[in-house]
Amino acid sequence: MATYCLLQIGLVLLSTTKISTLDCNILPSLHNKMIQRNLHLLNKMGQHFPQQCQSEKMYYKFPEQFLKSRQKEEVKVEIQEILQHIFYIFTKNLTLAVWDGRSLERFLNGLYQQIEHLETCMREKMEMKKPYSRTRLKLKKYFQKIDNFLKEKQYSFCSWEIIRLEVRRCLQFIDKVIRRLKN
Amino acid sequence: MALPGLWRLPLLLLLLLGAVALGQAGQMNLMSPYNVQVHAVNTNFTLKWKWDSQKDFEVTFSAQYQRIAEDDEEEEEETDWKEIPGCQNVTVTECDISSEITDYFSFYNVCVRAEKGEKRSPCSITFLFRPYFIAEIGPPGVQLESIDGVVKITVSPPEKSQSRKMWSNEDITFTYNLESWENSSNIESKTRIIQRRETIYDLAPGIIYCLRVQARITSEKKVGSFSPVSCVKTSEKARNALPYPMNVKVHALNMKFLLTWDNQYDQNVSFIVQYLCAYLKSLQEDDLDKWTVVPGCENITTTQCDFSKIILGGLYFLRVQAINGYNKSRWSNEVKVDPCVVNEIGPPNVTVSSSEDSLRIQLTAPRTENDSISECYDLTYQILYWENSSALKKTKQQPLLLFTISDLKPSTLYCLQVQAFSQVYIKYGHFSEMECIRTLDAKTSPLAILTTFVIAMIAFFFLASVFGFGVYYISRRIRYAFFPSCKPPSNIECLGGQPFVSLYLSTSEEPTDNCCIIENIVTEETNQTDFKDYKHSKQSSRDSGNYSNDDDTSGTKVSEEMLEQETS
Repeated sequence: MATYCLLQIGLVLLSTTKISTLDCNILPSLHNKMIQRNLHLLNKMGQHFPQQCQSEKMYYKFPEQFLKSRQKEEVKVEIQEILQHIFYIFTKNLTLAVWDGRSLERFLNGLYQQIEHLETCMREKMEMKKPYSRTRLKLKKYFQKIDNFLKEKQYSFCSWEIIRLEVRRCLQFIDKVIRRLKN
Repeated sequence: MALPGLWRLPLLLLLLLGAVALGQAGQMNLMSPYNVQVHAVNTNFTLKWKWDSQKDFEVTFSAQYQRIAEDDEEEEEETDWKEIPGCQNVTVTECDISSEITDYFSFYNVCVRAEKGEKRSPCSITFLFRPYFIAEIGPPGVQLESIDGVVKITVSPPEKSQSRKMWSNEDITFTYNLESWENSSNIESKTRIIQRRETIYDLAPGIIYCLRVQARITSEKKVGSFSPVSCVKTSEKARNALPYPMNVKVHALNMKFLLTWDNQYDQNVSFIVQYLCAYLKSLQEDDLDKWTVVPGCENITTTQCDFSKIILGGLYFLRVQAINGYNKSRWSNEVKVDPCVVNEIGPPNVTVSSSEDSLRIQLTAPRTENDSISECYDLTYQILYWENSSALKKTKQQPLLLFTISDLKPSTLYCLQVQAFSQVYIKYGHFSEMECIRTLDAKTSPLAILTTFVIAMIAFFFLASVFGFGVYYISRRIRYAFFPSCKPPSNIECLGGQPFVSLYLSTSEEPTDNCCIIENIVTEETNQTDFKDYKHSKQSSRDSGNYSNDDDTSGTKVSEEMLEQETS
C-alpha cells in the first residue's frame, strides 16, 4: 500500500511539474489566439479609417501563394516572415501616427513573443534542408513596397493609417491560413 | 605568261585562306575562363573565375551580366547583356560586381571572357544566381562593457551602418550565437543563443573573458561568419557595496505573478522592482530609460512583488535593486518572463453526482482575474478515476466542462481527480482534491423504477378504493343512525305535533312515549291481526337493522310487553 501511495504521489508530481517548452506541432491553436489578440489591439490602437486619407489609398497585391501553402513547415516560415515585417514597420518613425501608445506597445510585445515562439520552434529544425520558397520572396517584395510607400510619404499620418489597414489585412490572411491548417 | 598568272591566283587564295585560318587559330587559342562563381557577403558581391594560363600576364578579363526580372504574374523578363563597369580588363581572376546587383530577389546571369590584344575568347558558361539566396551573413559588431562583476554585450547587426541592406528587418530577423570562454583556463568554450543585448552574470572577478558572435537567420537556415574575438577583464568586487538581490524567481499560479528574492540583508533595506517589455531589447535604442517601475513595488520592504497587473500578453524582463539610504546595490540578474510558460494552472472546481452506472462531473475552470488564463491556454481537462478498492486508474480527456463517465459498476465507491491541461504549452495543471462517490444500487434501474411506479400506482388505487369504501360505509352508517331514511309509521309519531326525530334522542322523553303507546292501543284495539302484523313488521324492520340497538330504551320494551299483554 505504501509503495502504491508513493507511486501515486510520484505520478501527481510528475504531471504537475512545469515544462517550459512548447509543442511546436500545435502551431494553429497557439497562433490563432495571438493573431486574434493582435487584430484586436490593431483596431484599438486608432480610430476608423480617416476620410481625408481615402484619396491616398494604395493597392498592394498580397502574394496569394501564401494562402495556398500546403506544407506546415513552409507556412510557419512564411508567417514568421510576415510577422517580422509587421514588427519592423511598426518600430519605425511613428511620430505622425496618432495612435494609442499603450495598445501599440502591447501589439509590438505580442508580435515579438509570437516571433520568438516561432523562432524557438524553427531552431529545432535548423539541420533540415533549406526550403526553397518563392512565396517568401514574394512576401519580401510585398513588404518592400510597403516600406517604400512609407518612405515616400515621409511617414505621414495618412500613410500610417493606410498601412495599418494593410497590416490588418495581412493578419486576417494569416488567420485564414491558420484556420485552414487547423481543419 | 598566262601560266604564271594562273599560278598566282591559287597562291593568293591559299595565302588568304592561311591568314584566315591563322587568325582563327589565334582566337581559338584564347580559351574562355571557367568555373565562374559569385560570392556574396551581405551586399558585397565578388565575381570569381578560373583561368589556366596564369603566367600569361597580357591576358585581361571582362565580365557582363543580364538581369532576369519576374513580375507579379511570375513572367520572366530578360534584360540585354551589359558590361559590368568594375570588371573590364581586369588582370586578376575576380572583381567586385556589387554596384550592378541592385535587386536581391531577381535572377542574374554573369559570364566572363578573356582578352589578349585583339584576341577575345567567347564568354564563359554563364553563372545564374539569385542574390538573396547566395548571400552570406557578415560578422556582427560587438561591444563589451564590464561593470559590477557582469559583462554587458551589445551586438549590432552585420549591416548596421550601411545604406544598402541585404537583410531586411535587421532588428528582429537576427538572433546571435555567442561563443565565450575564459582566457586563462582550459575550460571549453560555451555556445548559446543571445539577443542583441545580453548580460553575462556570475563571472569570477578579475578574469579575462573572451567571446565572439555570429549572426543567424533561423527561418532562412543561415548562419553568418564570426566577429573578431573580443576580450574584457571582469571587474573586482567593490568592497562594502550593498549586495544585489539574489535568487530572483518568478512564481505564478492562475495568472497571479509573484517575483521573489532572498532576504540577505542585516540592515533596513528597501527594494524597487522594474520591468521592461521584451521587444524593446531587440531595438536599436538603448533600453536604459525604458525600464519602468512595477506599480506597488517601489520602496517595498518585503522580498516579494506582485506584478500581475503589468502582464498584458507578450514577454517581459524584471529586475530588483536593493536600497539602503543613498546606498544602492547593482540591479539583480534580469529574469525573463513568458507568462503563459511560467504560469501554473490551478485545479478546476469539481462537482460530482452519480447514477447507478455513471458519474456526472461538472467542472469550473481555474478561477483567475479578468479571465486572463484563457488568453494563454485553450484548456483541456483530464480526469483520473478509479474504483476505491482497485489500483487501476483510468483517464479521460476532453475540452468540455461537463464529463460523464459511464459503464461503471453499481453500488461501488469511485474516486476521481481532475486537472486542466494545455496541449500547446505541454503544461499540466494541479490536480483537484480527491472526490469519492458511490454509484447507486442496481435495483434502481429504469425497469425497476417503472415496476416500482406501477406497484405504487396499484397500491394507491387499492388503498384509495378501500378508503373510499370505508368513508362511504361509515357515512352510510352515520346517516342510517342519525338520519334514517325509513320513517317510523305515522301512528308512532308524536301527537303533540313534535317530530319523532330519533329513537336515541327520544330516550329522555320516556313518559311521553308511554303515553303515546297507550293512545295507540286504544285506537287499534279492534284489529288483532293488525297488531301481529305490526309485531312482524317490527321484527323484520329490526332485521333490516333499523333498530340495531337491542338494549333500546326501556320505553320501547315496556311498550312491547304491554302490547303483548293487551293482545292476549
